[in-house]
Formats: sequence, C-alpha cells, structure tokens
Amino acid sequence: MAPLQKRALYSLLIGLVLVAALIVVFVIKGDVTAFSDDGNLRYLTYGVLIGVPLIYLILVNLTLRKPTQIDERDRRIMDKAPRLQLVAIYISLAVWVIALTELYRETGQIPRIFVTLILFSTLIISSLAQSLGILIGYWRANRNG
Amino acid sequence: MARINNQIRRLRFDHGEMTQEELAQRAGCTRQTIIALEQGKYVPSIELAFKIAGAFGVSLEEVFQYEA
Repeated sequence: MAPLQKRALYSLLIGLVLVAALIVVFVIKGDVTAFSDDGNLRYLTYGVLIGVPLIYLILVNLTLRKPTQIDERDRRIMDKAPRLQLVAIYISLAVWVIALTELYRETGQIPRIFVTLILFSTLIISSLAQSLGILIGYWRANRNG
Repeated sequence: MARINNQIRRLRFDHGEMTQEELAQRAGCTRQTIIALEQGKYVPSIELAFKIAGAFGVSLEEVFQYEA
C-alpha cells in the first residue's frame, strides 16, 4: 500500500468514526433543535467539524511534503479525487433540500439550526470524500492501470 | 490498442537483482510505482522514463517499447 493510500484510509476511517459518533449523539438527543439548547452537543459538533479536516490535513497533506513518499503516480491519483468530492457535495445538498422540503412542507418554514448543520455536513463530507476519492483512485489504478 | 511495454523486471535482474526499492530511490519514485510499471498498469511520464533508464545506465528504448 502506497504511503498516501495508507494515510487516506486512516483519515477516512477516523473521520467516519467521528461522524458516526456525532450521528449517534443526535439520534439519542432525539431532535436537531437540541443543538441550540445543549452546549455539549454544540461543542461535540464543533469538534467534529474541526477534527475531520484537521485529521485529513495532518495525515494526507503532510505526506505531500515528503518527496520520498509521493511521486507522479500519486499526484495523478490525487488530482482526480476532487471529482468525487464535488459529486458528494452535490448529493449531500440535494438530500438536504429534498429531506427538508418534504419534512417541513406543512409548516412552510424550517428551523434556523439547519443552515448551520448544512454547512457543517458539507465541510465534513468534503473532507471525507477527498480521502475516499484518493482510495478509489488507487483501487482503479491497481485494477485497470 | 497501442501499448507501452517495459523491460524493468529483466533489467533489475541483469543489474545484480536490484530491488524495487533501490530502483525507486534511484529514479525518484515510490516502490508502488515500480510495481505498477512492472505489472504494466502504469505508463510513466517522459521524465520518470528517462530517470529509470538513467538508473540502469541504458537508453530509453532499451527500457520502454511502443507497441502499436
């Protein structure tokens, strides 16, 4: 496994664990409006928001600074990763729009907190999709060349 | 379909069974790229191709062949 591939995998796994933990906490609280009322939930969400891109930065971007750990093949794979990132962001935004439209169609307005959650989820998904894009790039390169 | 073949594995053997790691260090790439090249799953840039040929001390054509 290439050094960049290994670090992208660690970054994705750690990010997924953090996001899963956050989702579990939201489910236990039962309602997203708890975000406004519960300080601990807010700090946890902020932690994940900062943690996921930070993990990506530490694990993946620091690899790029070591010339012995990355070469032209890795860079080619990395250059293609943003394609998946873009698709993931489009899909997540579409899911938010459809879900919120359907859930709050009766009331005609959505709780303000969703604006913050949409931003947070987009940033987290962007970081995770970058790592996933790198892993898919290696998988395709090893399979098809 | 056009294909670029290479003689990297044979050349490594001819050069005292040079390891993939050693070749990677000499050519300035990772071992994984050498593995991909030997398996025919990666076509290198001109620069890397010259570096690999240089690591063996042979011409580019002795390492890479274009097959139409």
